[in-house]
Amino acid sequence: MLKRFRENKSFQGTILATPTLIFMVGLLIIPLLLTMVISFGTRSADGNVIYGFSLHNYARMFGISNECPNGQSTCFDPLYVQILWRSLSLAFNTTVLVILLAYPLSYFVARSHPKRRNTFLFMVLVPLWTNFVIRVYAWMMLLRTQGVINGVIGWMAGLFGLHFVPFEMLYTPGAVLVGMVYEFLPFMILPIYTSLEKIETALYEAAADLGANPFRTFLKVTLPLSMPGVVAGTILVFIPVMGTFIVSDLLGGKQVVLVGNLIQRQFLDARDPTFGSAASLILMVMTLIVTYFYTRKFGFGEEIISV
Amino acid sequence: MKDKIMKVFVMVILVSLLLTACSGGAKPTTSPGATEVSGEFVCPEPESDIQVTSKELNLFVWTEYIPTEWKTCFTEKYGVTINHDEYSSNEEMYAKLNAGGSNYDLVQPTDYIIGLMIRQGLLQKIDLSKVPMVNFNPSYLNLPFDPGNQYTLPYEAGTDAIIYNSDKVTTPPTSFQDLWNPEYAGRMVFLDDSRVVIGMTLLTLGYDVNTKDTKQLEEAKIKLATLIPNVKLFDSDSPKTALIAGDVDLGITWTGEAFTAQQENPAFKYVYPKEGAILWQDNWAIPTDASHLDAAYAWISYTSQGNMFWLMLRDFTYINPNQAALDYAKTNQADLYNAYINSTITNVPLDAIANGHRIEDVGDATPLYDQIWTEVKGGQ
Amino acid sequence: MNPYRRSPFIRLSTILVYAFLYAPILVLIIFAFNSSRTNILFGGFITHFGPIKMVGSTVVQSPCGPFHWFCELAKNRDVMGATRNTLTVAIISTISSTIIGTLAALAMQRYNFKLKTFTQISLYIPIVIPEIVMGIGILVLFSQLFTFLNGFLGITGDARLAMGLPTVIVSHIAFSIPFVTLVVQARLQGFDKSIEEAAMDLGANELTTFWRVTFPTILPGILSGGLLAFTLSLDDFVITFFTTGPGATTLPIYVYGLLRRIITPQVNALSTVWVLIVFVIMLLLQRSQKKTN
Repeated sequence: MLKRFRENKSFQGTILATPTLIFMVGLLIIPLLLTMVISFGTRSADGNVIYGFSLHNYARMFGISNECPNGQSTCFDPLYVQILWRSLSLAFNTTVLVILLAYPLSYFVARSHPKRRNTFLFMVLVPLWTNFVIRVYAWMMLLRTQGVINGVIGWMAGLFGLHFVPFEMLYTPGAVLVGMVYEFLPFMILPIYTSLEKIETALYEAAADLGANPFRTFLKVTLPLSMPGVVAGTILVFIPVMGTFIVSDLLGGKQVVLVGNLIQRQFLDARDPTFGSAASLILMVMTLIVTYFYTRKFGFGEEIISV
Repeated sequence: MKDKIMKVFVMVILVSLLLTACSGGAKPTTSPGATEVSGEFVCPEPESDIQVTSKELNLFVWTEYIPTEWKTCFTEKYGVTINHDEYSSNEEMYAKLNAGGSNYDLVQPTDYIIGLMIRQGLLQKIDLSKVPMVNFNPSYLNLPFDPGNQYTLPYEAGTDAIIYNSDKVTTPPTSFQDLWNPEYAGRMVFLDDSRVVIGMTLLTLGYDVNTKDTKQLEEAKIKLATLIPNVKLFDSDSPKTALIAGDVDLGITWTGEAFTAQQENPAFKYVYPKEGAILWQDNWAIPTDASHLDAAYAWISYTSQGNMFWLMLRDFTYINPNQAALDYAKTNQADLYNAYINSTITNVPLDAIANGHRIEDVGDATPLYDQIWTEVKGGQ
Repeated sequence: MNPYRRSPFIRLSTILVYAFLYAPILVLIIFAFNSSRTNILFGGFITHFGPIKMVGSTVVQSPCGPFHWFCELAKNRDVMGATRNTLTVAIISTISSTIIGTLAALAMQRYNFKLKTFTQISLYIPIVIPEIVMGIGILVLFSQLFTFLNGFLGITGDARLAMGLPTVIVSHIAFSIPFVTLVVQARLQGFDKSIEEAAMDLGANELTTFWRVTFPTILPGILSGGLLAFTLSLDDFVITFFTTGPGATTLPIYVYGLLRRIITPQVNALSTVWVLIVFVIMLLLQRSQKKTN
């Protein structure tokens, strides 16, 4: 077999890829298939799976319901579609805000002195190395009615003798958005930086020499060349936001039901793994579709990942 | 480049060594929620004669529910290492156990989920001869969710009722119906528990808290949907945080949280609503596939001793079914005992108990309750 | 023209975003010195040294003074245990996934073999799939597998297969491999094969060529991939949440559990220590870079 390994290039490739294949198939493909099988099942009285083939979980997810208020046989119940839409909107809003905040900083670092760039980048990474949950908790301390932000503003208002009614920031959808943006900002900064860094300074000079003002330079030179970074960053932000449940739980006071919350609850409180599995798969397919169309338009952005 | 790599690896290894070395220290940390009790705790001798050969004990218990001294004393007296995993909802515990592949010796299910766990074959029968049954107050034994205590033993009991800050709330609530008062809008914290919140709505309509009647549930759903926008947050983990922090002024919470909140700020009052509070009881139970049975029984016996269980009065104040512990505290920890007896939160008036309701598992109506919960929450 | 000139708008935005990034970290560090044990509001610093004395829920005196919570942290076995688990999982899964991922990257970049497309697609899936979907899938798989194996092979008691540190490690390897592969692949793409050919012309065999030419050149990519895998594993919550078992609590799980009680400033002390360690590593790396430059 060793001889075959030396001579047959294709065999070499297969051997190198085998460990990966074992992990991917074993811990990804098979679990997904299992989830799919369960999603076609029915819930037993005690919350176990009765295997079979039924599409009712999917029907329920998309709102096709048999229990209609007006006595019709089928009607549309938008409950779960609303939840899906809400998650999509949050992911979209988060991504847009993250791009707006990340871009100037990435640009700043990319055009700073080469010796300083690593320092700036590390400064972006350091918060990432603390614990994700702790960072969310820190935002709770900041946003509380008697928290740090209100405390600071109240103190400043006191200096001017102004009466200050504290802002109610925590446990609102706004708080959830702030938390999401905060958590995923570094994942956009790094890819955009990498693609911006590749743009040679000479290009900017050339554009200036040709008479372009800074705005035009940005539009015609910087932005297009940085698109691979924006794309990669979007994928790294949009997808996790779709599936997160912790941020909305802690910062939103569990008022808002997003897809991640819905799925988690199906497996715990509702004891309905069949519906939970269907919801998981729908979430996955939705994410794949969005990613597919997005990358078809803008490319996948692999070029920016090289070190 | 090479010394960069070397430096990173060296740092990582150094850090891990450092943190591992720091794990010494036999002094137990003060449990949160405790008042400082003077003097070191001396581990009492075990009263049972159970012999333990197992080297480990795997506990799967509620967060914030086991005094640290129990673990250190048990290890000291029996030489058993304790693995302490936690959950913060019965559903989490049930899902883990039902999925299979876990390896716990003791769990603490609340009353309503025990029937389901027995039906699913997740619990094994308890040998009552191995535990000090005399220590328990008989009012907490032989209850409908486990007649004859075949599978469970009482741990702590409690209620879910209304809490409010008397400094901030001008018209105190006296019933669940009062919560619909527009004056309370945006100032309430509710438990993130579909059964409790839907249940209390059913009670305000005069229905049974465990009903499966779809018409009654529909009515409750419509009524609840008008209330939900007034709730500032849902929290089944630590509702006292929002109350103490002043984010909210009133809400629904449970015994332990109410007692702690009141200790922080005596302005907090706990009220048993006119419709009747929710009663519950947490219990010890042994999973079917427990592998360290001798250690499990030794643990239950040891910690149920009066001179051990009284620590719950110090650390996690709930309704205490262990009469031996109360008797011990009466003579040896008078302050704790008096605090317990004098508070209506822990020493529940008999009429409140008589008026109370217990939640039961509703079987195939469970997804319906969850659907209602999703709908009322989803209408934001 | 100064090549490093950036408009005031850019400078201001950058400062604001950095402030945004660090505000919570600052709060975390300050509250690590909070004298109020409930840690909901800031109660001032602990100024007296001596045996522990408390007034209500405020610590007024401590043997460690203002560093009270750091001392408590050092005595906290649960935190130390969780930290040890986290590091164990991170190190083992990083080394494994880096090796496996690099091999895969070499395979994908240089060879054509039958399952190549299938492998490529399966490598993209963990990146685009929400973590909760993967976590639940793995939980379902392992629980079914263990129940079946335990029954079929008649294993009982402690020897039973159950969720624990091994399942966590294996899951972490699984979600790290695609990221490592992606990074190393990108590095390989820019690699000029003519150097390899030159080395071989000069008489080196394939193995020597690989070790002395290819490997050093792609090493930055491998290290980046490894660093990425390490970071992902260190902070992973969702997948660990579904694959953990007795005694295998990691730091993110432990902290999440802590959030559900009165959170003492111990958590803040832990974060502060963590940030300090990262800063120290950073400084050392900067110094060594300056030396080599």
